[in-house]
Amino acid sequence: MSASVQAEAASVTAERVVRPGFHGSAAEYFRIWIVNLLFTLLTLGIYSAWAKVRKFRYLYGNTRLDGDSFNYFASARAILKGRILAVVVFFVYAIVTELVPDSIWAFLAAGIALLPLILVRALRFNARNSAWRGLRFDFPARVREALPMYLGMPLLVVVTLGLAFPWFMARHKQFVISHHAFGTSPLGCAIPVGKVYGIYFRAGLIIAGMSVVAVLGAMVVSPVAVLVPRAGWLAFLLPVLAIYIAYAFAYAYLQARLTNLAWDSTYGAGVRFSSTLGAIDLAGLYISNLLAILFTLGLAVPWAVVRTLRYRLENFAMLVSEETVHEAAPGLVNIGAAGQELGEIFNVDFGV
Amino acid sequence: MSTIAAHYFDGRRALRHPVTLVPAGGRIKIVGREVNAEFESSRVRVSTRIAATPRWIFLPGGGACVSDDNDAIDRLVRERPMQRVVHRMEARPAFAALAVLLVAALFWAIVDYGLPYAAARVAEHIPVEAEDVLGREALAGMDQFGLAPSGLPEERRAALAAKLEALAALAPDAPAYRLEFRAAPIIGANAFALPSGIVVLTDELVALAQTDEEILAVLAHELGHVRHRHIMRRLLEGSAVALLVAGVTGDVAAATSLAAAAPTLVLQSKFSRDNEREADAYAFSLMRRAGIGPQHFAAVLARMEAQAPRGPMLPTFLSSHPATEERKALSGSQ
Repeated sequence: MSASVQAEAASVTAERVVRPGFHGSAAEYFRIWIVNLLFTLLTLGIYSAWAKVRKFRYLYGNTRLDGDSFNYFASARAILKGRILAVVVFFVYAIVTELVPDSIWAFLAAGIALLPLILVRALRFNARNSAWRGLRFDFPARVREALPMYLGMPLLVVVTLGLAFPWFMARHKQFVISHHAFGTSPLGCAIPVGKVYGIYFRAGLIIAGMSVVAVLGAMVVSPVAVLVPRAGWLAFLLPVLAIYIAYAFAYAYLQARLTNLAWDSTYGAGVRFSSTLGAIDLAGLYISNLLAILFTLGLAVPWAVVRTLRYRLENFAMLVSEETVHEAAPGLVNIGAAGQELGEIFNVDFGV
Repeated sequence: MSTIAAHYFDGRRALRHPVTLVPAGGRIKIVGREVNAEFESSRVRVSTRIAATPRWIFLPGGGACVSDDNDAIDRLVRERPMQRVVHRMEARPAFAALAVLLVAALFWAIVDYGLPYAAARVAEHIPVEAEDVLGREALAGMDQFGLAPSGLPEERRAALAAKLEALAALAPDAPAYRLEFRAAPIIGANAFALPSGIVVLTDELVALAQTDEEILAVLAHELGHVRHRHIMRRLLEGSAVALLVAGVTGDVAAATSLAAAAPTLVLQSKFSRDNEREADAYAFSLMRRAGIGPQHFAAVLARMEAQAPRGPMLPTFLSSHPATEERKALSGSQ
């Protein structure tokens, strides 16, 4: 199915290229961010749900695609409820696993068992609260469909000692994208697994190569620690820093290539997509964001958010081969935010 | 009232219709080429104003209009006071500058007072027994790596244990503890408090101390850790700090995991130094009751530092203990 649709799309010569753009500014977002952070701290976190909605509405509302902005309309109350649950679970997890280290296995088992539910609920919450041209997105996947994906595949990854991981990631991204829909128009996605293996292999080479450089560098600077004891911590820090940079590059490489591949393999009614993220651009973005945030004690966060969003949007394109009027899916009801907030606090990668 | 240029979406199809909104006496007319509708102003819901973000006017029946003309929409529908206030604050650079200062002050207040206070109150309500497993595993772990059975004669151990018991009995709020003797060829002269009230004293410290008062001073310091539930409080503070930092940096994705880890490290070493000071204060008050001079603590600290293996020098803000100079000065002032 995918091959025929892609071939068909390619045969149409006159594709209209539509690029999204961000029309807000970092200065404006900074003011929104700091005021909402102030209210969040004043209310000991309660306001954070409203802050999140305001920030998302600003970012969505100033993102335009084909002349129309996006809209985010999650209910702050729903987010607050989800957040309270997530914070309670987080505290119980953090304290109990410290006090009874073996309990980590029970939490891990519970987490794995609940992952399909959390993932589906989180993606559905986000999709249903996002709209473009007055039409909501949706994520109509059933938990039942996610079960074999997120219970069976990780088991396979463990059994194969990680060899199946790139395959799992390909299937994961494919699952997430292909279950999204705009109104009644579904997205399709077919990621070639072989290419994903190639990407992971090259990322592994990057880490290995740069780690060797880091270790050699450490051997060169370590005499400094002996000669100048006061600078000893520097000799300890430099190799760690080098390994972090290697990691950042490999991470950026994976992000860029996997995202590009996923979008290039995605199609919808009369439309396909293109993503052109660069690994070096992205690594530079991550590292400069990190440094800016560290040296401004966090004040650069809004600037980092805006420039990252801008870069990602600039490198995304929708290629329209056939103008389609998308129709709304009837009867979408709002759902709770517990899955979404749990996923956020435990850093679940919903991934695209 | 003036008219408002907008786009209309019927909510069923993703098609944009250019329209004009005409407010007229409590009603809003929506006029366009394919659209002609009228609603009571009280039945439409308008999204709140956020900078220059396009505003949505949600109509009964599922349709919606969107417009960039924020000022005109403000005249059409009065926002709730709270929303208006937030928008005005967000619009002013001067307020943003003020907010930076207020956020910094609040952050400091929360980290310096709020979190330690809350952690101390919560820790009081968690029974010490909750730490039993952790304490047992921590001691077993250290016995496996680094600690060996004590070589001190039985009588010497009994005498020290009895002296510590007598010292603790002087305090009305002395915690339940369990003294353990160990040889520590790698760690050297030291004493430490483990979860569930286990206090470990190394043979090397007994050898290094010139008087039993010096040993008691260090043990009193460890009792301070036990009394103030520092281990439980650190667990609680650690989780809260992780949440606090995630609250600030959370909107930047995984790229900033280091950015989130660094402040957590700095804040936790700050809590740790505060705990050391609190344990010092407890030790001094206990020693005062027993008539042991504070100079014993300073003397043994100085000797411990002199014989400690020289590790890489850490800047003070990353160190888990206050500078020894500071502690010596403090013992002098007691």
